[in-house]
Amino acid sequence: MEVLITLITLAALTLGLLILARKYRVSLSQNKAAFFWTLVLVALTIGSLYLIYTPPGTRMGPEQPIPFSHQLHVGVKSIQCQFCHPYVDSSIHPGLPPVEKCLYCHNYIIAKHPQILKEHRYFNTKTPTPWVKANYLAEHVVFNHQRHIKKEIECQQCHGAIETMDRVKGRYFYMEFCIQCHREKKANLGCWLACHS
Amino acid sequence: MDRRTFLKIVGMGSVSMAVGCSPDPYNAPRPEKNLFSLIHAPEDMVVGRTSWYATTCRECPAGCGILAGNREGRLIKVEGNPLHPVNRGKLCMRGQAALQGVYNPDRLRSPYLKSDGGWRAITFAEAEGMLLEKTAQAAGSGDNRVRMVTEVIGDTLLQLCTETLTQYKSAPPLVFEPLGYESLKSANEIVFGVRGLPSYRMQQADLLIAFGADFLDTWLSPVEYARKFMQMHALDGGGKGRFFFVSPYQTLTGANADLWLDCRPGSEAVVALGLLREILKLGRPTGLSRKLRYQLGNTASAYDKATVSKLTGISVQDFERLTEALRRAGRPLVLGAGLGNGSSNSLQTDVAVNLLNLILDPDLSLFDFEQRHRVEVAASLFDVKETFRKFAEDPPALLLLNNVNPVYAVAGGGEIEKAISNPATYTVAFNSFMDETSVLADLIFPVRHFLETWDEYSGKQVPVSTLQPAMGRLTDSPTLGDLLLKTVDGNKRSAEGYKGHLVGRMLSRADINGELDWLKAVQQGGIHQLPEPKRYKGRAGGPAAEKIEELFSTLAEPHASGLTLAAVPTVRFFDGRGANRPWLCEIPDPITRVAWQTPVMMHPDTLKQQGLKHGESVQVKTDRGNLEAPVYLTHSVRPGMLVMGIGQGHTAYGRYAEGQGTNPLRLLPAETDPRTGGPHFVTGGVQVAKTGRKAKLANTDGSRSQHGRKIALTVGLDSLADLTKKKKSGLTMSDFPLVLPLPEGYDPKLDFYTPHQHEGYRWAMAVDMDRCIGCGACAAGCYAENNIGIVGDKQVMQGREMAWLSVERYEDPDDARQLVFLPLMCQHCDNAPCESVCPVYAPHHNKEGMNNQIYNRCIGTRFCSQNCPYKVRRFNWFSWRWPEPLELQLNPNVTVRSKGVMEKCSFCVQRIKQAHGLAKDEDRSIRDGEIVPACVQTCPTEALAFGNLMDPGSKVRKLAEDPRAYQIMGYLNTKPAVFYLKKVIQKV
Repeated sequence: MEVLITLITLAALTLGLLILARKYRVSLSQNKAAFFWTLVLVALTIGSLYLIYTPPGTRMGPEQPIPFSHQLHVGVKSIQCQFCHPYVDSSIHPGLPPVEKCLYCHNYIIAKHPQILKEHRYFNTKTPTPWVKANYLAEHVVFNHQRHIKKEIECQQCHGAIETMDRVKGRYFYMEFCIQCHREKKANLGCWLACHS
Repeated sequence: MDRRTFLKIVGMGSVSMAVGCSPDPYNAPRPEKNLFSLIHAPEDMVVGRTSWYATTCRECPAGCGILAGNREGRLIKVEGNPLHPVNRGKLCMRGQAALQGVYNPDRLRSPYLKSDGGWRAITFAEAEGMLLEKTAQAAGSGDNRVRMVTEVIGDTLLQLCTETLTQYKSAPPLVFEPLGYESLKSANEIVFGVRGLPSYRMQQADLLIAFGADFLDTWLSPVEYARKFMQMHALDGGGKGRFFFVSPYQTLTGANADLWLDCRPGSEAVVALGLLREILKLGRPTGLSRKLRYQLGNTASAYDKATVSKLTGISVQDFERLTEALRRAGRPLVLGAGLGNGSSNSLQTDVAVNLLNLILDPDLSLFDFEQRHRVEVAASLFDVKETFRKFAEDPPALLLLNNVNPVYAVAGGGEIEKAISNPATYTVAFNSFMDETSVLADLIFPVRHFLETWDEYSGKQVPVSTLQPAMGRLTDSPTLGDLLLKTVDGNKRSAEGYKGHLVGRMLSRADINGELDWLKAVQQGGIHQLPEPKRYKGRAGGPAAEKIEELFSTLAEPHASGLTLAAVPTVRFFDGRGANRPWLCEIPDPITRVAWQTPVMMHPDTLKQQGLKHGESVQVKTDRGNLEAPVYLTHSVRPGMLVMGIGQGHTAYGRYAEGQGTNPLRLLPAETDPRTGGPHFVTGGVQVAKTGRKAKLANTDGSRSQHGRKIALTVGLDSLADLTKKKKSGLTMSDFPLVLPLPEGYDPKLDFYTPHQHEGYRWAMAVDMDRCIGCGACAAGCYAENNIGIVGDKQVMQGREMAWLSVERYEDPDDARQLVFLPLMCQHCDNAPCESVCPVYAPHHNKEGMNNQIYNRCIGTRFCSQNCPYKVRRFNWFSWRWPEPLELQLNPNVTVRSKGVMEKCSFCVQRIKQAHGLAKDEDRSIRDGEIVPACVQTCPTEALAFGNLMDPGSKVRKLAEDPRAYQIMGYLNTKPAVFYLKKVIQKV
């Protein structure tokens, strides 16, 4: 997709240059070198801007030890969030599924897939799966999942459209993000009583 | 400097500046972090919530029940088990610090084998193999070739040790405890015919006299007796029980007495005999045989008031006050010598005390001979020394040492050192630390910490108190029980593992009937139903008269002249086993307020006489040796006494213990008492010499005096009624009112700022100083709950300690011997001086009245600390470190503060938030007593209370309305939310 956009942009730029050249009656054949270098310069600028701001994978989260897809499990298979994150309505942390839980299904579904075999290895060698953290919150803040779920805040409201994400992108939650919602909903705004401690 | 160099330096400077400052801290790259998933999810673990496991504390032989809080697999807090009959939910600071035993950075992770003078780490399998081989070898070489010395352990494990040793045709294990109560046991045997340690129903007494028994520090079961003492001594219906303390020095216990009679060292027995004389004179029926009565009368007749006063140095008036109180008392209880009073006369003191009790109450209704203290199983020090001495003549092939450190804890234990390092004996130390004893062993075999094991330990005899693993194992070390079972031949084994053995034994003793009972016991931390108390049926006529006569005829002269040194076990370190727990080192001593060091306490008269000054380094010499220690001036010891705490001055025992303080045991005589076999903790013939060096004391008290600032107030028992009469209205130091930190306390004439509006709750605390004994358990609980940094002695000297709660000690301006303890934490003022000076609003007043410190907002100006009249704010001069694995103890609900940030007591806001959550779930408001901050939770005497000031029925509101209530420096109109109740001084 990204490559296609780049090619189209480049083509449009070339076309634009050609139109400009015709308009100002600049002979293409006489200024071949100048045209070439202008084009190269423009291409390089666009290329580096692209690389800096939207490199491939920007819209994806960190690579995980097992390429688990939230899009497939939540979006396609419609598994409830609570099935894998069971403590979300009873504790500050939602909890991660134990390896055992993955294998409830995957002992039967694509049981011989190399990644599922990897999961089995984790299980058999009693190795905790080293998932890479995607969501970050400052360490002086305690976010209580339970309280938000009890107020019927959808998971997606903070975590985004998780059902469309293959590799969860996650985010760094800043105070601004929390406080906006707390203001709108007239929720607790006390520093300690709400978040910090 | 030439131009080129200048430009170079400037260039380098700007580059390093640019490198050092990240342009955008929010978007700076962060190291990737992992979230680890479990393999199986345990049923009782909810991520983010603490699971509590009931077990039993093994930090001292008292055996308090504890609840160990486990968060995501790691222990973060221990608290008392409310169901346990010994401690009823409370815990001392040593109990709190049990966590720093399990997470101690110096805890050995694998066995160590001595080879070529050095240590080599080996695997547990190798060590186990070697142990089995050595036992088999030793057992094969003859009778009594395998010997064992153990600390006081539960009956099940002790029996198993005995059985195992019997299989090897060897004698049962020797139980060694440095504080072994030899004198008390001997006296109980002589007078009551019971060689044991009965417990006392102290709460039922109306008069308590202790001849040095420091039951609030370390004696028998301090948490239990602190509670019982307070039941007896707290203000109740306008009166309170009386407590006299007879000892040459105060200790924490004596500091809580109504009258401290500072007798000469070794003269406690004289006072007791003087009392005997007075009581016999009354001619009450005693239940003693005529012969004994006659003989006692004879012995005691020599000790009239004048003689007692002359021999003991106590004034006649004070002695008369004591006798008068005893004469008038309805249910008196007299306690004997303390551990530190182990002088040559301690047996006579204890016997006289027992006789006094027997005469005062022939039924001994305040004694409980059913519930005896477990520590009575310990052998006498004489037996221990004798055993080791015999090892020199006839060395055993294998010597097993279970968690004992006699090389440190026994004065003049040369024979012990020799026996352990004897090459003919292969010594295995089951110990998790390299301490003075285990470094002499051939193999150090770490066994599991008590918080990681299944076991049973009953601090008293009848109720069963269970231990269960409250966390996963930190090391692969096995338990001692499992190891012992392994050494037994397979088909003779009672069970495969020690847990099976334990359950089997409990079933066979009918402690439990089946699985359900077992689970219930484990869940509740034991079986706590106490049996019906039985009446004491002693020997008719009391003990044999001849024995008593002979005993008192050998009463040694008290130390009359010269200097005397007493080495006393302290509430912080017990016998020295607490010295490697950083919390215990950092929390200052209750009396001296000195942390990390071992000062030598001396009376100002002694200092004058010796030409010494407070804070000077002095050399203390006896014929056993000498040591150097800082001098500490105090009125809590009598002139001529030198008092030092036991516990520090280790030469090995990890980074926190080594080289900190000094060990006064080095100065004590090696001989044991010929009658009791107990140690001497007191010695005469002490000399002090100036060194000319000035020592820097790591003390945390600014001053011992309040300088009239109305900080810790007292009230006489007889003037209690006056408190209600006067209505105070001024704002001067001598006349200031109590103003509630609520809108109703707003006065437009006085207040600059508008009142704070609260929504439903205004949290407040009440401290009853009359109940506070100054033990410092609250401070330890606070350290554990709130991730408070440990700064070490050098920083304490700079005044950089981080304690959020410190128990301040003040001397009464009229009588410096009268101490007042004041637990001081953030006062959460309504008119908080800190809030108005912060340029960035980091101290913030919230809807529920608390003063919040917002750490990430704080820029470290320290204005707030400067403006705080209570000096309870602490600044992080450094980012404090928790050496691995101590960081596992950190409470995940509390931020770990870093350098440059101010911090202070938060009223345990994390617990308040938790209670809010629970209340919201159940759609109700928070109940009174539902929120229990860590300090309130652990206080053994329930001196602290916390609650909602806006609730007129709450405990804290009622205490705030007590006539004794006041606010510290109330004349400043800060309107603190911590109310103090004046200590009640009764003239006795």
